[in-house]
Amino acid sequence: MSGSPTAVTAPEPAGTAGTTDPAGTGVETAAAESPAEAPWRRLDRRVIWLDLVMFLLSLTPSFVALVVLDVDFSDGAFGIWPLAVATFLGVTGAVRDLLRWMKTRYRITDERVELRVGWLHRRYRYVPRDRVRSVDATARLRHRLAGLRIVHIGAGEAQPALRLNAVSVAAVAGFRRELLVATGTRPTAADTADTADDTDAPGAATPETPIAELRWSWLLYNLVNIWAFLAAGFLLWSLFWLLQLVNVDLRDVVGGLVDWRELGNGWSAVIITAGSFLLGVIGLGIGFVTENWNFRLVRATTENGTALLTRRGLTQTREIYRDDRRLRGVHTSEPLFWRWLGLAETEVVSTGLAGWTAGQESASVILPRTRIGYARRVAADVLADGVRPLEAPTRAHARAALYRRLLWAVGLPGGLAAALAWLAPTSTVPDRLWLYALAATPVTLVLAVIAYRSLGHTLVEPYVVTRYGLARRYTTALQRRAVIGWKFRQSLLQRIFGLNTLGIATAAGARHYEVPDLGAAQAVAFAHETTPDLLAAFVVRTEPTPVAAAEDPQPPAAAPGSEGWKQECDRPS
Amino acid sequence: MQPYPNTETLRPPTETTSRPARLKLRPPRNRIEKRAIALWMLHAALTAIVVLGGCGIAYATAESSRPYLGPVIAVLAAFYVVYIPLMPTWRYLVHRWEVTDEAVYALSGWFEREWRIIPISRIQSINTVKGPLQQLLRVATIRVTTASREGSISIRGLDAEVAETAAHRLTEITELTPGDAT
Repeated sequence: MSGSPTAVTAPEPAGTAGTTDPAGTGVETAAAESPAEAPWRRLDRRVIWLDLVMFLLSLTPSFVALVVLDVDFSDGAFGIWPLAVATFLGVTGAVRDLLRWMKTRYRITDERVELRVGWLHRRYRYVPRDRVRSVDATARLRHRLAGLRIVHIGAGEAQPALRLNAVSVAAVAGFRRELLVATGTRPTAADTADTADDTDAPGAATPETPIAELRWSWLLYNLVNIWAFLAAGFLLWSLFWLLQLVNVDLRDVVGGLVDWRELGNGWSAVIITAGSFLLGVIGLGIGFVTENWNFRLVRATTENGTALLTRRGLTQTREIYRDDRRLRGVHTSEPLFWRWLGLAETEVVSTGLAGWTAGQESASVILPRTRIGYARRVAADVLADGVRPLEAPTRAHARAALYRRLLWAVGLPGGLAAALAWLAPTSTVPDRLWLYALAATPVTLVLAVIAYRSLGHTLVEPYVVTRYGLARRYTTALQRRAVIGWKFRQSLLQRIFGLNTLGIATAAGARHYEVPDLGAAQAVAFAHETTPDLLAAFVVRTEPTPVAAAEDPQPPAAAPGSEGWKQECDRPS
Repeated sequence: MQPYPNTETLRPPTETTSRPARLKLRPPRNRIEKRAIALWMLHAALTAIVVLGGCGIAYATAESSRPYLGPVIAVLAAFYVVYIPLMPTWRYLVHRWEVTDEAVYALSGWFEREWRIIPISRIQSINTVKGPLQQLLRVATIRVTTASREGSISIRGLDAEVAETAAHRLTEITELTPGDAT
C-alpha cells in the first residue's frame, strides 16, 4: 500500500524475460519461470485512444454551445461558468487518465499480484496470490467499444484489493485462469483464450448450466420504490446542470409550464410530488434495464471446480464469479411493503465475497427483486443439493417474544404520549399532539404481531435456517459447518421474559446472523442441535426427562456435570 | 433425498419447550480476578472526572450555558454516584470464563449479559492486552479472534499471570487442533 521503497526496488525485468507483451494480453507471462523476473506489464494500449476520444468529447459541449448554437452567456444565473468547469473537468480527466496509463505497471509473480501506480504520489500494492478470492470484470460503454475490461482483483475484503483499468478481454480470461486456480495446480500452458485446442479452458468451450435469466416482469417489481424520489432529485439536479451548459435555467422552464399561482399550494404540491415520483420511476426503470440487460445467472465450470457466474449490463457490463467452494448458504430479504405480492431479493452467503461497497451492488446479490417463489427456486438451484432450506417450515419462537413485542408496541407510543403531554403545558409542542401518539398504538400492535410472526428458526440438514425482521423479513440458510461460534445475549427485559437473542458467528456473508428472542432453553437447544460437539461440555439439563430418550449415536465429549445428558436433538426420524 | 429431512420430528409440539428436558448453559468455570473491580472503578471514575470536569469548566466559563447545563450536570453526577460503585461489582459477579480442549467460553456483561462460545479450531489469533491501568493492577485481557468479529471473545480482568498461562495454553491447543478458521 505505502510506497515502501524496499518492495519497489525489485529488479526491473528489462530484457531478462524477453517475452513482455506490450499489448497487455499478458498471458505468456504465466509461463515466466522465476518470480523475481516476471515482467512488469502495462495496461492495454487502447486506453490511450480512449483518452484521446474523451479529450475530444469533453471539448464538444463548448464547441456546440459557442460555435454551433452561439449561446449568449451574458445574462444566465451562472454565466459561462458551468460550461467552463465541465470542459475543464473533462479535459483534465482525460489528461490525468493518460498519465495514469503511463505510470501504471503490474505483474503476476508466483507469489503475488503486484501493482505500481502513481505520478507524484507513487504507490505500490500487492496481494498474495493465495489470497485472491475474485477476479471481476466491469466495463463502461467506451471500454466495450474498445474491447477493454476493468479488472477488480479482490482478496475478500470490503474493497477490491487491486483494480486494473483497463486491460483487454483476452487478458481478463488469462487472469482468471492464472489467479483463480489453486496454487500448485496452475497450468503452465500459455494462451488458450482464443485458441480452442485446450478443451478445459474457460472461454468458448466452458460448459454452463443456466439458472436464471432476465424476465421483463421483474421491471415492474423493481420500479415502485421509495428511492424513486431520490432518483428524481438526482435526475433533476443533473438536468439542471446539463441545461446550464447552454445557459438554459431549468427553474424558469418549469415555472413557465403551468401557472402555479393559479393552482394554489395544495395542487402544486400534488403535481410536483406526482411528477417527481413519475420521473423517479422512469429513472429507476432506465437504471434497472441498463444494469440488468441480458442478465444471466449460470453455473460455470472452471478448472478448479464450479462457480456461480452473473453477466449483465447494457452500457456497463459486469461479470461476477463466485467460487462454489466458498458457497455457504443463501439469504432472502422480503420488504414488508411488498409482502402481499411476495417480492424478495436474493443473495448468496459466501466466504471471501466483498460486502457492501458504495455505489455498487454487493457481489453476493444473485437476483434482483423477484417473486419469492422464483427466488426460492433459484436458491434451490444455486445450492443444488435438493434440500430447499428456505422453504422448510420453521419452528415458532417462545410466546414470550410476542409479549415483549406487544409491550414495546404499547410502551413506545405510550411513553411518547406521556412525554408530549408533559411538555404540552410549556407550549413548546402543540397541545393535542400526545393524542396522535396514543392513536398510533393499534398500528404498532399490528406491527408487533407481524414482527412476531416473522420469527422462526429450524435446522434442515445441513442448514441452519433463521428468519426475522419487521420492515424486511430476512431468511437465511447457512451451512452448519460454516458456524464458527455462538453468542447468546440477554437484556434485562429479555431475562424477565425468559428470552435470549442468539447470534451465529460465521466467516461467510454478513459474518453474523441473528435469531432474536428465542426462549432461553430454546436458544440453547437450537445451538446445541446445530453444533452438538461444541456445546456438549457447556450444556446441562435443568429437569430430568420422564421419557427415555432415543439411542445416542455418538456420546458427547465427556464433561463433568453433563453425564446425564443425551444427544437427542439429532435423533433420526 | 426427501425434501425436508427431520423437520416433522424436529417441529416442537408446543412453542416454549421443544424437548422434554429444558437445556441450559452452565456458567463458565472460572471467575475473573477481584482486582478487576478496582480497574473498572478506576476507569469509570476517570471517565466521570473527564466528563463532569468538561461540563464543569463549560459551566464555570460560559454563563449562557448554565440554564441547561446545570440539570445535565446534576443528572450525570447522580448517574455516576450509582454507576461507579455498582457497575464494577455487578460485572465481577457476572463475568466468568473457561478454556477447554475444544472451545473458549466466556460470560460477560452486567445488566445485559452475553455468553460467547467459539471452537478452538476456528481461532485465528490469540493475544493478551495490558493497558497502563491494567499493568498497574496486574490484570490483563485475553483476546481471541475468529474470522467473524461477532465470533471473537475478550476475557477481561484476568490476573496477569493467569492470563499469560491461559493464552499460552490456548496457543498450544490451537496449534494442535486442525482447522481452517473459516
